[in-house]
Amino acid sequence: MSSVWLPCGDYHQNYAEDQGWWQTNFLKGKMILLLAVVFIGIPLFVDEYWISVGTMIGYTAMGALGVQLLIGYAGLLTLGHAAFIAVGAYTSVMLILQFPWPQFLLDWGLAYPISVFIAGIVAGLWSVLFGLPSAKVKGFYLILTTMAAQFITVDFILTQYISQIGGRGQAFSLPPGTIKIGPWVIENDTQVYFVMAVVLTLMVIVLANLLRSKPGRAWVAIRDNDIAAEALGINIVWYKLLAFFVAGFMAGIAGAFWVCNTAALSPEHFQWFLSLWLVGVILIGGVGSIQGAIFGSIFMVVVMELLQTGAIPLAEYYPKILVDFAYIKDMAFGLAICAFLIYEPNGLAYRWWQAKNYFNLWPFSY
Amino acid sequence: MELFFMSLTTGIMVGGIYALVALGWVLIYKCSGVLNLAMGELTLVGAYVTYTFYTIGVPFVPAVLLTLLVGIILGFLTERIFLDKLIGEPILAVIMVTVGISFFLKGLIGYIWGSDTRVFTPPVFDIKPITVGLLKISPVYLWSFILSIILLIVFVAFFKYTRWGLSMQATADDETAALSLGVSARFVYASAWAIAFMSAGVGGALLGNINGINISVGHLGLLVLPAVVLGGLNSVPGAIVGGIMIGLLQNFSGTYLDQYFPGGVKEIVPFAFMAVFLLFKPYGLWGWERIERV
Repeated sequence: MSSVWLPCGDYHQNYAEDQGWWQTNFLKGKMILLLAVVFIGIPLFVDEYWISVGTMIGYTAMGALGVQLLIGYAGLLTLGHAAFIAVGAYTSVMLILQFPWPQFLLDWGLAYPISVFIAGIVAGLWSVLFGLPSAKVKGFYLILTTMAAQFITVDFILTQYISQIGGRGQAFSLPPGTIKIGPWVIENDTQVYFVMAVVLTLMVIVLANLLRSKPGRAWVAIRDNDIAAEALGINIVWYKLLAFFVAGFMAGIAGAFWVCNTAALSPEHFQWFLSLWLVGVILIGGVGSIQGAIFGSIFMVVVMELLQTGAIPLAEYYPKILVDFAYIKDMAFGLAICAFLIYEPNGLAYRWWQAKNYFNLWPFSY
Repeated sequence: MELFFMSLTTGIMVGGIYALVALGWVLIYKCSGVLNLAMGELTLVGAYVTYTFYTIGVPFVPAVLLTLLVGIILGFLTERIFLDKLIGEPILAVIMVTVGISFFLKGLIGYIWGSDTRVFTPPVFDIKPITVGLLKISPVYLWSFILSIILLIVFVAFFKYTRWGLSMQATADDETAALSLGVSARFVYASAWAIAFMSAGVGGALLGNINGINISVGHLGLLVLPAVVLGGLNSVPGAIVGGIMIGLLQNFSGTYLDQYFPGGVKEIVPFAFMAVFLLFKPYGLWGWERIERV
């Protein structure tokens, strides 16, 4: 069944048409409009502060896409995704700072892009390593092994060993001007925003294409019933590990992207909180849809920003609110997850779908 | 050799506390099938509530009893507000609700009590170690162990011999049959959460006596997860053995591995061990093996 509403009398003749991206001209126009808003509209008309919020949304969405692939499409519950983001970020930083780059690569501005790619590969392999137990266990037990990945990677290896390399202490800071993509030096928020927009768009395209091809169908089959999938001839161990690799790769890219947005990198950025946050994002956005990851990121980041904006005037009367804002954020996040799971388990993507359906026939719905 | 015996005794005694908290976890899972990731925060709540009672002048043992009472109330509330509506939902939803609860509690605790380390003043237990033959045991550990063993026995006896406990067992075994025999399943779930809050609360109060109370007590509470995995998710004796094993593992690795891998190996080893253990024995030592069909 097609996933979009087609104009009356317009039928699909084969599977390829059914899975096509631009099924109607309206859809095509809508997507081009969206891209125009993201790439031209927002940078032109939105002030610096909200652009950095946009970057934050993009970063969250990059992480959430990997979680969405694992939980929403392959049914592999993970609570340790921040570990792979951290691996990506640290690989990229270590490569930039420690690797003896040939001068011509530095001149051409290729050092950072290459390090981003390698970061993705390393994070993907690291993710496969901790995905190995998924061959034998699933559900809750998989949550525990991914949790183990989180604690082993971030709290132990990164904090105790990797952070000590080069004698920089706990935080790795990049000298300004090191992050250079081709001729452009990434310095201010708007440039970071453009990097984010490009990377996120590429990620969504790659993931959407993977999901409508053989691996994607295999993942969905494994999610729905892994024993039946095995009986259908799907090599479930291979595809589960592939899911871990792709998700880890995306996490690595997200982490390497984060490097250009932050002045100093420390393990503090990748605590267990981030892993839980990402799972919360996809639950709120809707499990099992790419839009869900994006909607969830927008919702969570914007709500948190609004909470903070709302807390500033209150702080005149209760100064404690701003001092302890991190705790309020925790509480709000916890309550948001619970409320969504109890009252709207299908997430925002489902609401979006309902709204679209409503307007599709509006105003003559009978 | 002295070092060995020191780690052994400390391990067993801290393990006793883990066993107590793990028991609460297993009870929830057995009765309602909820996999609870909020155990760390439940321990924190217990620690802080006991601390608060203690600072306003209540002696330690009545303070712990009052904490039990608060635990019952909080347990019933949590079940009614959050988990009652989720019976029969997919496992991820239920787990994430407990994660949501844990965030909420963590934020609340941070907001009320702040992030400074609180210490029980005056100290509840004598600081001078007791010497028994070769062994030097500090009284904190000894009393914690004794208290947690007593509570373990009380909880297990409650589970085995009282009417409530029997109805909990019945629900754990077969919910529909228990319902038809007149057991109120909702009440059973609520009491399982109450017991979890109580056992985690006492565990938290005891752990808080050892190193002071801050967010890291919650991290210790998370150690019940390796413990229950070792023992098997639905086995009460498994929880006790698993808890003690994790205590031992933690202390031995702290004693012997720390020189090779400096810094925090103590916190990581239980999780690393669990990840490897799951590869070989996914259902733990005494857990029920689940047979899956298409």
